[in-house]
This record gives sequence, C-alpha cells and structure tokens, in this order.
Amino acid sequence: MMDTKLLGCVVLFPIQILFCILKATVRLLVPLKRKDLVADVVLITGGGRGIGRHLAKEFAKQGARKVILWGRTEKCLRETCEEIAMTGTECHYFVCDVGNREEVYQQAKVVREKVGDVTILVNNAAVVHGKTLMKSDDDALLKTQHINTLGQFWTMKAFLPRMLELCHGHVVCINSILSLSSIPGAIDYCTSKASAYAFMESLTLGLLDCPGVDCTTVLPFHTDTEMFQGMRVRFPHLFPPLHPEVVAQRTVDAVRTNTAFVVLPWTMHLLVILKSLLPQCALEEIHKFAGSYTCMNTFKGRT
Amino acid sequence: MNIVVEFFVVSFKVMWSFVLAGAKWLIKPEEKSVEGQVCVITGGGSGLGRLFAAEFARRRATLVLWDVNRRANEETAELVRDIYREMVPPKGFRNSVGELQLFQPQVYTYVCDVSKRESVYSTAEKVRREVGNVTFLINNAGVVSGHHLLECPDELIEKTMMVNCHAHFWTTKAFLPKMLELNQGHIVTVASSLGLFSTAGVEDYCASKFGAIGFHESLSHELKAASKDGIKMTLVCPFLVDTGMFKGCKIRKEMAPFFPPLKAEYCVERAMRAILTDQPMVCTPRTMYVVTFMKTVLPFDAIVCMYRFLGADKCMYPFLAQRKESTNNNGMKPGM
Repeated sequence: MMDTKLLGCVVLFPIQILFCILKATVRLLVPLKRKDLVADVVLITGGGRGIGRHLAKEFAKQGARKVILWGRTEKCLRETCEEIAMTGTECHYFVCDVGNREEVYQQAKVVREKVGDVTILVNNAAVVHGKTLMKSDDDALLKTQHINTLGQFWTMKAFLPRMLELCHGHVVCINSILSLSSIPGAIDYCTSKASAYAFMESLTLGLLDCPGVDCTTVLPFHTDTEMFQGMRVRFPHLFPPLHPEVVAQRTVDAVRTNTAFVVLPWTMHLLVILKSLLPQCALEEIHKFAGSYTCMNTFKGRT
Repeated sequence: MNIVVEFFVVSFKVMWSFVLAGAKWLIKPEEKSVEGQVCVITGGGSGLGRLFAAEFARRRATLVLWDVNRRANEETAELVRDIYREMVPPKGFRNSVGELQLFQPQVYTYVCDVSKRESVYSTAEKVRREVGNVTFLINNAGVVSGHHLLECPDELIEKTMMVNCHAHFWTTKAFLPKMLELNQGHIVTVASSLGLFSTAGVEDYCASKFGAIGFHESLSHELKAASKDGIKMTLVCPFLVDTGMFKGCKIRKEMAPFFPPLKAEYCVERAMRAILTDQPMVCTPRTMYVVTFMKTVLPFDAIVCMYRFLGADKCMYPFLAQRKESTNNNGMKPGM
C-alpha cells in the first residue's frame, strides 16, 4: 500500500514539475484573473518617498479602500498623503520608525483603533549605508539591519495574526536583486536584504496552508530613486535603472495576480542562474566586467 | 572595439575557470600548512566548533576558542591539549632539525558573547595582546530559537539574528585590519544549507543564515575588488548535522535514506579539506548543489512541488513541536 503510493508520487513528480513550468509559461502570455482591492486597507512602510510613494499612488489608483503610510519624515508623509487624498482615496499617515520594535507595536495599535484592520502590508522601508565593511560605522551597520530586516519581523508580528483570523490578507516585501547577488561596497544592505529575502521565502512556504493570506516578494534591480543616488552601472543601455513607477505598477499587479516572487527586470534571472552554476573565480570576472565592483564608488545616497 | 576585446577575454577566463575547476577534480590540490598559525573559532565549546578545533589541533595550529559557555569551552581545550600531547613528541624526536620542530602549539580559551559588540572587540584586543596575529577566523557560533514566528519572543528573534549574522560584522571587523595589512588570512563562515534555501517555520534562523551568506559574499567581492588576494574566504553550508541542534527535524520518510542527517565528523572533514585548499564554498552533501541550482531555474510553484515531494517544506514542524513540549527548555540551545 505504502509502496504503491510512493511509486505514484515518484511518477507524478516530474509531471507535476512540467505542469508547473507550463503554467508559469502560460501565465506570461495569457492575461490572468486579477483580484479586486476594493475591500483592502493597505499599509506601506517607508511610504513618504521613493518606491513607497509610488506604491501608495498605485494602490490608490487600483482601487484600494484606504491607504496608510508609515515613515520617519513627517513632511514627505504629509505631502504623499495629500496627493492621494486629492484622488479621492482615504489616506492616513503615522510617523513610525520600523527599526524600533516598541514604536511599531504601538503605532500598529493606533492604526487598528483609528483606521481598522490592515489587509495588505507592504514592507518597503529600507536604508542603505553604502560603504565597505572596514569603512562602515558599527551603529550604521546595525541600523540598516534593524530597519531592513528586523523591522519586517515586527510589522509582521503586529499585523499577520489579524490577517490569519480574517483569512484575508497579503504580505508584500520590496526587496532587491542584491539579496541574491551581492556586490561590494554595500555590505550592510546586501546582508540585510538577503536576510529579508529568506524571511519572506520561509514565510511564503509557511503561509501556503493559510487560505486567503498570500505573499509577494519583489526583487528589483537598481531603481532610479534618491536612495541609490550616484550608483553607476557600466552598461546603462543593457541594464537601464528602473523607474519607481514601473516597480510600483509591477508590484501592485503581482499582488492582484497572487505572484509570489517577481524579479525585475527578468534578465536578472540569468544572473542568479549563472551564480549557482559558475565557479567563484568566473563569477568574479563577470562581476568585474559588468562593473559591479566599481558601481558603488560614485555612490552618494540620500544627502 | 575595446569592449569587444574585453568581452572575449572575460569569456575566455570564464571557460578557463571551468577547466581549472575540472582539473581540481582530477588532481587533488595540496592542503596548505596551518602549523603555528593562530586560529580563532567562535562557538568552540560544542558541535562543529569543537570538531573544527580538533582538526586544526591535529595540524598543529595555535587555537583560540571563544564560547559563551566557559565549561564547554574548557572541555574542548582539554581535548585539544590531549591531541597536542599525543602528536608532538614523536614528531619532535624523529626529526632532529632543531627549534622549529620543538614548537609547541597552545590553546587559549576566552569567554565571549559574540552577539555583544563590546565583548567581541575587547576579547579580540586581548587575543591580539596575548596570542598574536590571527590568520584563521572561523565564524561558527550559531543558535536557533525554535519557535514559530508568531509565538517567538522578540528577544529570541533578535538574539538569533545577533549571534548568527550580526556577530560576523564584529568578529571580522576586529581581525580583518591586520589581515589586510599583511595581505594574509582566511575567513570561514559556517552557515547552513538553510542559508541557500529556506523552509517553513524557522523564519528567523533562515533570515540569519541567508544574511551571513550575503555578508560573506559581499565581503569576498570587496576583498577581490581591493585586490587583496592573500585573504581567502570559505563558505561552509552543511545540510542537517546530527549535533542535536535541530532534534526532531525530519523530511519525508521515504526520502530520508537519500538525505541522511550528516555525521558532524564528515561535514567538518569536507569543510577542512575545502578550507585548506582555498575552496570558496563547500556544500555537504553534494546533492545540495543540485537543489540550489533547481531553485534558481524552476518557477516558484515547481519549487513548492519539489519541496513537498521531498517533504522539506515542513521538515522543521516536528522539531518546533518537540521544542514546545520539552519542559526543561531554557530558551536557546548553543551549538552547531
């Protein structure tokens, strides 16, 4: 009995895999059913500027009921909030540093009381210090870890239980392609993003059993925002920097189509595949050629 | 024109690296000598750390053991001294060359909590004063909280991240400057195969191990970019090791024979071989390379199928349940 079942599994396995590949291919070509966002309350961390700001606008445009912004700078938050309110979507903002655990829990309580249950949580807040290990300040290294990685743990712990209760929710993480392929000169960022990626991957696998609660992780390439100002890629024609609007559009679309992982642009898949195949010294040569060893030399960041 | 030439040169170098890698399979490269070199091992009190200490001792390296647990650390030191005692006299007598052969390696122990930055820096300072320049740094200390995300106390999440990931910042920052100055050294990161692919229920552990690997890769690129070829880096990714750290963890019953829990000794043996031949990365068992590669090419749904087929997606659930049950649970278990 046991053996026949196992045999069935073994035979079925390659068919399943082929089916999954086929499904993924079809999904690329055929427009999918997209879910409605009318009942959703969206919370975006780091929503005052950069990708977060465009995400807020895009969620409002696609019909989210309410948008909540979290961030550290009140001025940016207010501006974004006003901009969204003009389009007719209810918008709130709260000053909250996701790196501070107590503050996250406290503000989460405030959100629940004042606005209601959050059903889409977008972990977007991130900082980058952009220095080599020996030039990095210890506190700056830690701060990046706290905001980029641990912040996601706290926001998740604050909002996920309610989503599970309601059987309705979506967790989104704006990560970076650097989480899968590190570059020198941004050691704080690479470490924290790799952690955040694993966190989302593990969570996605865990939440497969929870109907109604889904996950999306977006891994964009260099995006043209203030955050990575000054970073120069060697072949800008081959790998142009992404626009934050595009990243926002693709993210909201991935949420509506329940896509678990999105790599932007798709060419970055090749990099990840190459990385798992090539010997280390070959990979180094390619990095050197592609200019990723020097791209952070001109980095200025948010000044 | 220039860029075309450069492209061909790079392509050639990529091809050549495959040839070199193939050659290494056929002609085993010689292991480098670690005799008399100072080797720091974090988490030396138990599990893999202890075995690493024994291996380095057999090769007559001077050992510096760090652990939070003083007693366990002393036990390892005792083990190391035994090894030294057994091997030194015959070697010393057989060769009558003189002083060099009479060199007596020593073992030093320090109580250090690697999650505390000040503790790492002050202990590192002591090591520099009392022992000398460090050539080998084995970042091995690791913990696991063993709770589901939503049930895990925040402090344990922080602790896991601090010990498994952030500690690498501090230990490396403490010893790297001297290595850079001499352009000589070797940094080893003991991660886990859970640093290459994750599984459900242990979000914090996966996050910390992926982080450690991100750190390792970024640092190794940094050293390459700065042309510090004398400093080597090795990443060690063992699959489940039977050190008891993940007691209860099991994959699908029928698949278990293909992925047996690793003997810690085997894992350390493979890792030592990789370290001493300057290999950048080692996964044990080798099937893990295949799993990692499959993960990069397959769409997510197919990966989930693969995980379910292997029973790997929920392999940690029995471990977590066991953790919850055990009443004498005092939070964290050091080791691995």
